[in-house]
Amino acid sequence: MSDKVKIIIDDIEYEVPAGSNLVDMAKWYADNDIPVFCYHPKMEPVGMCRMCLVEQGSIVKDRETGEVVLDENGNPQVRWFPKLQTACTQIVHDGMVIRTNTEAVKAARENVVEFLLTSHPLDCPICDKGGECPLQNLTMAHGPGTSRMNYDDKMHLDKHVPLGDLIFLDEERCIQCARCIRFQDEIVGDDVLAFHERGRKLQIITNSDPGFDTYFSGNTTDICPVGALTTADFRFGARPWELTEVPSICPHDAAGSNISLSVRLDRDFGGRAMIKRVMPRQNEYVNEIWISDKTRFGHHFTRSEDRLKKPMIKKGGVLTEATWDEAIRFVVDALKAADGSVAAIAGSSTPNEDLWTLRKLVEGLGGGLLGAWTPTHAGADLVAQVGVGKGTNLGDLGQGDAVLIIATDLEEEVPIWRLRLKQAADRGAYLVVANARKTRMDDFASDTVRYDYGQAAHAMQNLDAAIAKKLKEANNLIIVAGAEGLTLDGSRALMQAAANFLIESGHIGKPNNGLLSPFPGANGMGLHYMGFSPEATLQIMQNPPKLLIVNQAELLADDPFAAEWLNKVETIISLNLFPDAVSNMAAAALPIQSFAERDGTFTNGERRVQRFYMAQGPMGEALPAWQVFSQLSEALGQGHAKLSAAAVMKEITENVEAFAGMRYKELARVERQFPDVGGEDLYYGGTAYQNKGGLGVQIETSADKGEAVSVGEVKLPDSPKPKKGQVLVVPVAQLFNRQSTFKPSVLVHPRVPQPYVEINSKDAARMNIKTGDLVEVMMADQIRVTVQAHVNGGAPEGAAVLPRYLTDEATPMVLTVGEIKKV
Amino acid sequence: MNIIRGFMTTFKHLSEEPVTLQYPEQVRPFQVRFKGRHHLRRYENGLEKCIGCALCAAACPADAIWVEAAENTDEARYSPGERYAKTYEINMLRCIFCGYCEDACPTQAIELGHEHQLSFTDRRDAIYTKDMLIDPVPEGGQDTPQQVEPGVFTRSIPVMPDAK
Ligand code: SF4
Ligand code: SF4
Ligand code: SF4
Ligand code: FES
Repeated sequence: MSDKVKIIIDDIEYEVPAGSNLVDMAKWYADNDIPVFCYHPKMEPVGMCRMCLVEQGSIVKDRETGEVVLDENGNPQVRWFPKLQTACTQIVHDGMVIRTNTEAVKAARENVVEFLLTSHPLDCPICDKGGECPLQNLTMAHGPGTSRMNYDDKMHLDKHVPLGDLIFLDEERCIQCARCIRFQDEIVGDDVLAFHERGRKLQIITNSDPGFDTYFSGNTTDICPVGALTTADFRFGARPWELTEVPSICPHDAAGSNISLSVRLDRDFGGRAMIKRVMPRQNEYVNEIWISDKTRFGHHFTRSEDRLKKPMIKKGGVLTEATWDEAIRFVVDALKAADGSVAAIAGSSTPNEDLWTLRKLVEGLGGGLLGAWTPTHAGADLVAQVGVGKGTNLGDLGQGDAVLIIATDLEEEVPIWRLRLKQAADRGAYLVVANARKTRMDDFASDTVRYDYGQAAHAMQNLDAAIAKKLKEANNLIIVAGAEGLTLDGSRALMQAAANFLIESGHIGKPNNGLLSPFPGANGMGLHYMGFSPEATLQIMQNPPKLLIVNQAELLADDPFAAEWLNKVETIISLNLFPDAVSNMAAAALPIQSFAERDGTFTNGERRVQRFYMAQGPMGEALPAWQVFSQLSEALGQGHAKLSAAAVMKEITENVEAFAGMRYKELARVERQFPDVGGEDLYYGGTAYQNKGGLGVQIETSADKGEAVSVGEVKLPDSPKPKKGQVLVVPVAQLFNRQSTFKPSVLVHPRVPQPYVEINSKDAARMNIKTGDLVEVMMADQIRVTVQAHVNGGAPEGAAVLPRYLTDEATPMVLTVGEIKKV
Repeated sequence: MNIIRGFMTTFKHLSEEPVTLQYPEQVRPFQVRFKGRHHLRRYENGLEKCIGCALCAAACPADAIWVEAAENTDEARYSPGERYAKTYEINMLRCIFCGYCEDACPTQAIELGHEHQLSFTDRRDAIYTKDMLIDPVPEGGQDTPQQVEPGVFTRSIPVMPDAK
């Protein structure tokens, strides 16, 4: 900790770090909840609401001697400010004295509450915030019992203003604290909210089109100290006290955001426990108290009626419903018949327990290839060696540190990293963004680098000397290397080049230094630790086995070229949440449980192993995949089936070195986190919940352990070359898309873009294409998709940027060439 | 002597009217405050008073009330304001007729009436749904959901007179 100073709060002396905020310190050290409305521990104070008034003074020191001046009783003399001060705008200093329990302070608090309520509606019974409302709570704690005001004189404003498709504003309830505006501006950098009008008429407006255009809008409803902002998802869904909070992990991306699933029984779901909303759960290492809108609004797939609910096996050429016993017997026979020619492909959101049991099953059959899906991002092994050091916290990066983001559009791929790295840049970190096109991150970058698509590794090796120097000389350096515009080989070369850069400059093996990659899905790193690799997937593609087990990987929806090799597989055993094209051609399609229906763990991109807990009952007869694999193993005589996810994890800890010591109990450990949000006092940090489910444990890298690292020789791959009349087709990520796990979230549909391809203006002019024209993108002579053309300067010349998962047909996963024709 | 006193008491009572009633043909009049099964009230125009706030459910010591709320629109309006009870159920086997729900209700939507003849042959029948609890539409009123003019029923809780 930095220097300490001594302050006195209500006659008790505390030693607190210099330079910190008085409200934070009073709460952390003195357990003194100074009431606040506008102050938020994650944002700059503005001193707007006056709720935090305290008496403040300082101990008088003799100017000449520096001695403390004593009064006649021998106590230090205090020079008090003539008026009350706002605690939230005070930085602690030595000799600071404050009083929070005097009559003057009490009167000030009463008056502020009374004043706020002069224009606040009597809405608590129908207000979504009621029950966890800072205004309610502080009124109860500090408000006057009665009001001298005339209730007829209340301000009446619009109560139902959609700020966007996801957030509603009740203008009457707003107490004008500007937390929402400041969050969007300071923390996110999407300055889309503003105040309009003045005085009692003042309202929040959005100045973006579409309204409230940001990927983080839901967080404003958490930090709004009243029920002025509510989400379209939860609106009137339940009263907060009726909800049970179940700790969980976001299943969508590599950040592994800690969330809390608020569940309650619901008639609409057959009277069963249903997820009513997703709330952030504090983990200062991972997502602090923020979550993206995809995390918050992307939970509906867990109870989608389209889920696969019964085991299906092929009888006489048709998939027919079967019991689990029949299905297990059927699959066991198939496994035996395959004669050891067995391989497995697992999707990137498959929990660790499922991966491990699947691996054991395949190994027990003589060992086959274990493929990771999608085979787009290589280098997980490098992250295991020189990834960000154990103890890394992106929130610590600032002045003197550096971050290089290359070949990824972080806003679309891992929004929470984008949010936290943007803040790192605000704190003074040197942020370099390298990509073939402009991405959102460019707006926050200190320097940007452009290269040609396919040349990311080359660009990494040949960084501009001045930029490279600054990166190398930084105190801490993190490189975030993605796979946009690369083939799998290209992705490996980039990861190697990035690893080499870090090794050369010595930025490995310590916290806040090392490599990160936005692997797709929630468990990209888990795939690596459990022995699944994208390289193995390519081998499976080249040499299809007799029997292929496909777990939570929608091969045909993801890859337009998959049908070619998948047809050569004799028997497919498919396990998935939804029936998909793979399960349709499978010999057996088995329903498995989603993250919400079971216990398990994900390993996030920073290699933090985190637990999620069961929140809702199973859909139909779905089982957790680990249970299916475990039962198959038992039926094949490979030993007893495991009875719980915890038992599987125990076995992992005994067999996978990286997971040693990661029993469920360890993963569930929590500690007090600064700032102290959640808990009873929701007015301080908002409705982000306290972490009661565990902070998880981060796996050490080889470099952390001081082991030798080997990156391997960088082979710059040949990237696909467009012939005359062709363009490079570059698949990119789109956060709001039509993937099977996001499509059931109907309320986000208006925000999912219509399928489009971004074309460079020169190419467009040559082909006579304008924005809005329908064009056909044709690849490898056979794959065609019809999409809208966008000519908005988002694509470099010769490249067509084609977002994935927007069309019904599969679009390429990796860089390829194609032709574009107007239709 | 004593025996005469005893007989006098007997004869006195012989001439009195009996207190026993031939229930169920005859029913004793209720005290006004008697708490029987609940009614969900309506406003004169037929709109439901209940706004689905679930405060009754929160107040209920027997956890007998189940409320699920949904949003009103001017095209399909059930109650004034934004919120109405989509599901409203009371489990009469659980209810102890304490009347706390009545006290908790901010709109006086739920009131305990005088019906006390509750018997069931199946536990499920003991769950009274909204249809069973809600009052009939008053004369001149309209059944819910109503289509109403926009901007009229914006407030859930009728504006209160100055609390002095
Ligand atoms: S914001 Fe709080 S005080 Fe205002 S109506 Fe809602 S619950 Fe009540
Ligand atoms: S909407 Fe909420 S967060 Fe925004 S200014 Fe009003 S009270 Fe504050
Ligand atoms: S009956 Fe009253 S307390 Fe119960 S939900 Fe309806 S309005 Fe709320
Ligand atoms: S003025 Fe200090 S919290 Fe608002």
